[in-house]
Amino acid sequence: MDLHRLLAIARKEAIQLRRDQRSLILAFALPLFMVLFFGYAISWDVKDIRLGVWDQDGSRASRELAEVFEASGYFTILERPASYREAEEGLSKARVRGVLVIPPGFARDLLAGRRVPVQLLLDGSDANTATIAQNYAGAIVARHSSQVLLGGGDMPLLAGAETRIWYNETLESRNMIVPGLVAVIMSIIAAMLTSLTIAREWERGTMEQLASTPVKAVEIVLGKLLPYLIIGFFDVFVVVTAGILVFDVPFQGSPLLLGVLSILFLFGALGVGIFISSVAESQVVAMQVAMVATYLPAILLSGFLFDISGMPTLLQGITYLIPARYFVVVTRGVLLKGVGVGAMWPQAVAMIVFAAVGLTLATRIFKKEIKA
Amino acid sequence: MPETRGRPVEDLGSVTGVDGLELAGAVRVRDLTRRFGEFTAVDRVTFDVQAGQIFGFLGPNGAGKTTTLRMLIGLLPPTSGEGWVAGLDIHTEGEGIRRKIGYMSQKFSLYTDLTVEENIALFGGLYGVTGDRLDTRRDWVLEMAGLKGKGMQLTGDLPLGWKQRLALGCAVLHEPSILFLDEPTSGVDPVARRQFWDLIDELAQGGTTILVSTHYMEEAEYCHRLVLMNRGRVIALDDPAGMRARMDEPLFEILTPHPPHAVDALKNLDGVLEAAMFGRRVHVVVADEEIAENAIPALFEKRSIPLDAIERVPPSLEDVFVSLIREEGGAAEG
Amino acid sequence: MKISPLRVRVLIQKEMRQLFRDPKTKRVMFAAPIIQLLLFGYAVNTDVRNVTTVVVDQDRTAESRLLQETLTASGYFRIVEAGDSPRQIEAALDAGRAVMGVQIPPGFALALKAGEAATAQILIDGTSSNTATVAQGYAGRIVRDFALDRASERGLPTEAGIDLRARAWYNPDLSSQVYNVPGVIGLLLLLMALLLTALAVVRERELGTLEQLMVSPINPKELMLGKTVPVLIVCLVDLAIITVVALLWFHIPLRGPIVALLLAAFVYILAGLGAGLLISTISKTQQEAFLTMFLFILPGIILSGFMYPVDTMPEVFQHLTLLNPIRYFMEMVRGIFLKGQGIMDLWIHFLVLTGMALTAVWGASQRFKKSLE
Repeated sequence: MDLHRLLAIARKEAIQLRRDQRSLILAFALPLFMVLFFGYAISWDVKDIRLGVWDQDGSRASRELAEVFEASGYFTILERPASYREAEEGLSKARVRGVLVIPPGFARDLLAGRRVPVQLLLDGSDANTATIAQNYAGAIVARHSSQVLLGGGDMPLLAGAETRIWYNETLESRNMIVPGLVAVIMSIIAAMLTSLTIAREWERGTMEQLASTPVKAVEIVLGKLLPYLIIGFFDVFVVVTAGILVFDVPFQGSPLLLGVLSILFLFGALGVGIFISSVAESQVVAMQVAMVATYLPAILLSGFLFDISGMPTLLQGITYLIPARYFVVVTRGVLLKGVGVGAMWPQAVAMIVFAAVGLTLATRIFKKEIKA
Repeated sequence: MPETRGRPVEDLGSVTGVDGLELAGAVRVRDLTRRFGEFTAVDRVTFDVQAGQIFGFLGPNGAGKTTTLRMLIGLLPPTSGEGWVAGLDIHTEGEGIRRKIGYMSQKFSLYTDLTVEENIALFGGLYGVTGDRLDTRRDWVLEMAGLKGKGMQLTGDLPLGWKQRLALGCAVLHEPSILFLDEPTSGVDPVARRQFWDLIDELAQGGTTILVSTHYMEEAEYCHRLVLMNRGRVIALDDPAGMRARMDEPLFEILTPHPPHAVDALKNLDGVLEAAMFGRRVHVVVADEEIAENAIPALFEKRSIPLDAIERVPPSLEDVFVSLIREEGGAAEG
Repeated sequence: MKISPLRVRVLIQKEMRQLFRDPKTKRVMFAAPIIQLLLFGYAVNTDVRNVTTVVVDQDRTAESRLLQETLTASGYFRIVEAGDSPRQIEAALDAGRAVMGVQIPPGFALALKAGEAATAQILIDGTSSNTATVAQGYAGRIVRDFALDRASERGLPTEAGIDLRARAWYNPDLSSQVYNVPGVIGLLLLLMALLLTALAVVRERELGTLEQLMVSPINPKELMLGKTVPVLIVCLVDLAIITVVALLWFHIPLRGPIVALLLAAFVYILAGLGAGLLISTISKTQQEAFLTMFLFILPGIILSGFMYPVDTMPEVFQHLTLLNPIRYFMEMVRGIFLKGQGIMDLWIHFLVLTGMALTAVWGASQRFKKSLE
């Protein structure tokens, strides 16, 4: 390997990149756009759940129960249906997500020390929101119930759980999304940019020209990778900074560790991109493959939004083949948990393996194609 | 037809125009101009093409040949000027024109992922050729293009010469009265080119008017009438014999082992209007025959360039065009 | 300009032949959606199950073991580590080996027996906020019920009080698959419609075949029909295939009328086609078309309610979703599948989506005309 030849390729690539507006926009504007867009638009924080209250009792006690729901901040009472049909209509037209049904005789039975059932009808089609609403409602009712029984005094529960949340105490979804996004954006950009670079050389016939010079396959691959590595690294910086400044995402760990691991990850992701680029026949095919093989899996199978542990075993196996999977753990670990190398080493090893395999494969395929 | 174009409509509505031009199969162009921003690609071009003629557009790259053709077939609106194709106004009757013409571009533009017959069926359908007529025409095209028995082959797998003949076949499937060919033979080998021109000749004898652009000068010989364009303007309009007659200065052909040296030396000699390499020979245009007889051998002697032979030759069209373009002040840049 | 049935027919024939000639294209059209449905159907999953859990049992009594069993028996939690120091919980959460830690302090059983407050400590990794929220709710409920059960075993008064009985309609098991699979159908239809049209015109322009069509007597409407009808057919076939997979493999209920589903999909595909053709006519190269499509798909999906509920978005984005055709179809397809809604229930959606589809197709044909002239 000759450093001069490698740098000559890198310089050429950088010049071409600078003149290619489309790629530049992709490289710099897209990450920023994505982090702002995702950060603002995506939210799984369930609050202000729209609720209907069908109060068949109409007593002070039943009104109090409704007030407790409203006061919790998790529910907003939007309507007060007066019949089963009205309640049903509110749910089917999606005006409300749930209806609290308080039966007649609620106050009487409660004072008499009997067990009073209260029904919560939920629109279960959005299972996630419904589950959370159900949990909130359960906790609200349990607390209210014990307060009523003890005549307003706060009593220690007979037994219970004292729950504490770590790393993201307020359970804000943007704290979950932004660090994961760093990984997702990087893998998309890396694959899209690099998947074009080699296919383009084949399409324009410049590859034959390169192949006729003494330059080696590994020099071409690394030379092409270098400018993108710099851009990718810069993008990590931009996205993390935007996350901290705009979305108040904490940065608990070591910037140095994040930097080193980012470079490892980029090598892997870029290697995959160059690999796609080497096997694709044209730029358009390369982009299509990059999109299907990188874009969707990075979003769906990286654990960025959907927990890997909840997937079927086969799918969990597939996730190990997606570099973003490891980097999501890294960014969350460094940003939110503030953990060090001690906890991150399995990810580091996986990413090193990825980089090595990706680049080796890319170089090998590349060699074969030049000879063919 | 709206009467907004200045020229009396009656002239064109009738089958025979003022000049005895048969408009149904003819083309008339008056002051046709096309500008792209500051750049004038076609500058006040005027000519008539008579029915059944092979009308050739010649000139260097960027002369405006393709732009002129594209305006006539409605792919590009003119900036100003008028034109009629088959008696129809190019400004207002593009759709009518498209029914009556055939077009084949320099870039192969049939569907490579359809078979030969599927391409024929497609273009047949687009031009309303169906049923028995389609069968007859399909057989004719396959015969003409030498593709008999290859109808089920993918078009993309054919050699370029065959593709071009198939493209020509698809362009004349509906028996158009006028056929436009934009550099139809570019990239085709000489033998295939020859066959292609035989086909064009055949079509013309059948009464089809053909407008063809080319930058192969030898192809000009096949045309009945030629228009030479340079920098967007028409610089000569004549038949091949007339074109040759335009060059009255004598032309000599020199045989020498060192043509480049000879050209360099000749360029600075008084009385030499032009000296250029012509294959492995040198063509030199002189103001007077005497220069060739005395001054040139003397010059070669002085520069010690061997002079194997020098003789007067009749000008080829290429010589004529090179000399006409030189008089115009050279070809466009690029 | 009159539309000639002959020209439209040969154009449709031509497109069909091109689509069906290439085995790779055939696989993309018919096999890929099935694989994607299976993949996304499982991957897009917000069910919280098998939450990895570390247990530190410092009590070591029958009660504390029973609590652990209750947690795992619920199916929501899976114990991956057990230890005796709270430090172990910290380490497991740091390394991401577990999402939740349960610490049962010494004296837990004694407190229970005495009817005093017995508290188990629960630590949850909040980095995955959704899982954390749900796990927190489940764990709280399970421990509460556990305590109540123990109390009633001892004859302590637990009869009194309010008892919340939740009942989830449309999706009684609260399975997120039931919610997400119909959404995936919407996503796949859109991808297919865009993929098959976004390159349709620009590819022909790059190859030069568009010019050859333009000099024939064809008019823009005919060309539009030729480009849309085959894709519409392919997309409707895909709809049938993936609906069958959704019903038979994922057991998603189809409670509404099939006609409503078909009609909704028809209008939606039309909107997708229009958008794809619009992209194709404004792009100069295939690459540009591809990038443009890519840039629109992303916000389109996010602002559709496919993965994230629209009503938890900031208000500006909620308003933006009103311009998003995907959002309407997501509500329609879920309404039809899960709630058994029909055309009458969804007429506003139909109206808006039809308007959008017509606008897109009209816009594309305007651009088309322009590029033909």
